[in-house]
Amino acid sequence: MDLMTTVTIAVAAGTMLVLAVAMSLVLGWANRAFHVEVDPRIDAINDALPAANCGGCGYVGCGEYAEAIVHEGADIDLCPVGGPATAADVAEIMGVDVGDAAPKRPVVHCSAEYPQRLGRHEYAGEMTCTSANLIAGVQGCIYGCLGFGDCVMACEYDAIHIVNGLAKVDYDKCIGCSACARACPRNIITMIPFKTERVMTVACSNKDFGKDVKNVCETGCIGCKSCEKVTKGLFHLENNLPILDYDHLADDYDFGDALKKCPMESLVWVGKPSAEDIAETADEVLPDVVEADFKTTVDKTEWRG
Amino acid sequence: MEYIASIVLISVGAALINNFVLHYFVGICPFVGVSRRVEMAFGMGCAVTFVISIAAFLSWTFTYFVTRPGAPVTTWIWGMVNPGSEAVVDLSILNYIIYIFVIASSVQFVEMYLRKFFPALFKAFGIFLPLITTNCAILFGCLEIMKHITGVSSPAEMWGLDKALVFAVSGGIGFAIAITMMAGIREELDLCDVPKPLEGAGITLLVAGIMAMAFMGFTGVDRGLEALLLK
Repeated sequence: MDLMTTVTIAVAAGTMLVLAVAMSLVLGWANRAFHVEVDPRIDAINDALPAANCGGCGYVGCGEYAEAIVHEGADIDLCPVGGPATAADVAEIMGVDVGDAAPKRPVVHCSAEYPQRLGRHEYAGEMTCTSANLIAGVQGCIYGCLGFGDCVMACEYDAIHIVNGLAKVDYDKCIGCSACARACPRNIITMIPFKTERVMTVACSNKDFGKDVKNVCETGCIGCKSCEKVTKGLFHLENNLPILDYDHLADDYDFGDALKKCPMESLVWVGKPSAEDIAETADEVLPDVVEADFKTTVDKTEWRG
Repeated sequence: MEYIASIVLISVGAALINNFVLHYFVGICPFVGVSRRVEMAFGMGCAVTFVISIAAFLSWTFTYFVTRPGAPVTTWIWGMVNPGSEAVVDLSILNYIIYIFVIASSVQFVEMYLRKFFPALFKAFGIFLPLITTNCAILFGCLEIMKHITGVSSPAEMWGLDKALVFAVSGGIGFAIAITMMAGIREELDLCDVPKPLEGAGITLLVAGIMAMAFMGFTGVDRGLEALLLK
């Protein structure tokens, strides 16, 4: 190596070194001089939150929610992604007690698939529920699921799907961000606290009287009040629809009588299947699912371009 | 008089005639991204002007004294090592990395400053403030200054620090003018009945194109100004 190259390399390295030292001194000084006091709890809560930034808590992102907890006294158990574990962490940071918060999961208050819906007509408009909801006559029921899948599009976790025209939540994948509940133009998806893995729900949203419901749907709730009578007021009827009082519901409450009495099968268990359900379908043979791997996706034929 | 004329020509040239955004099409991402509200756009213009001035000062200093062929510092070191040699040390390869370095550092500095004294503006900028680091308008300003130090035919044509700073500041002002005008138009556009397929980015890019064509009207103004000032 000749002298010229050596000197060039040395001077170049020296220049970068001087530049780096000078800049780090200036920035180090600025960091102290322009220091902003941030409540250490905000950083701690930010670390405790899952950083999904889904907006399920009602704030723009996890950072805004952390600020709202500290400055505005927002509830600590709003994070649907982290659930009780995160709420406990946040409670510890804020020094408050966490209530027995259950994770909220969406429930579709409709149980009618295409065959059960009456008065359906051909629809040629834009294939979204929002558009179809604007006009009358797509289907008889003006309360129930339209089945165009606005909720499916809103879900970022592939946890809700349209099965035979009805939105079905996949509770294994769902994190409870409530995006589907916000997307539904008919507001038939609500967030319900899942205290147990299986939850009893009222799978109908039709507020009309029994005869009108029967004209548009084969499974809709007719408002007969039998569930209210059997459960001694755990259900109460509002607008011809039973409302289940989840706050006063015991975890192991037996809904057997109510399920037997309901003439329209509008009371539905959602969530994880029970042991009996699994046993019932144990003998069914499921088709093999081919996992995508090198062998199934790469074409081994020789390329002769 | 000739000096004043050259300063005026450089500033008008950088701000209006060869506007960074509308003539060279550099710095498009903040131009489209932060031009929703006038006050935010103006703040972005000011931040870019500030960063481009610091970056121009530092990059001119380093280019002139260290990295250009035959720069004082390298000549002096070479003279110490090998007295009497006619060879010239050329560190031009360092130009880009030094420019990126000083731009990144000054952006970091501006970010700290804004966070302390203008928290509202800091929040409004969000991700676009760190993105000034990769704003091509600023690197473009530095490279243009480099062109007028290393790429000139005679040392007399070389830009001094004064001209480099005037170029950088007026280039930043040109950016601020363009982005603020854009924001004003886009605020009005919010109230307009834009055809559905053009809503959002489409109409914004159309407006930017029309603005660029309008700025072509400044072509030739420099010759008129030169004749006026040197009369």
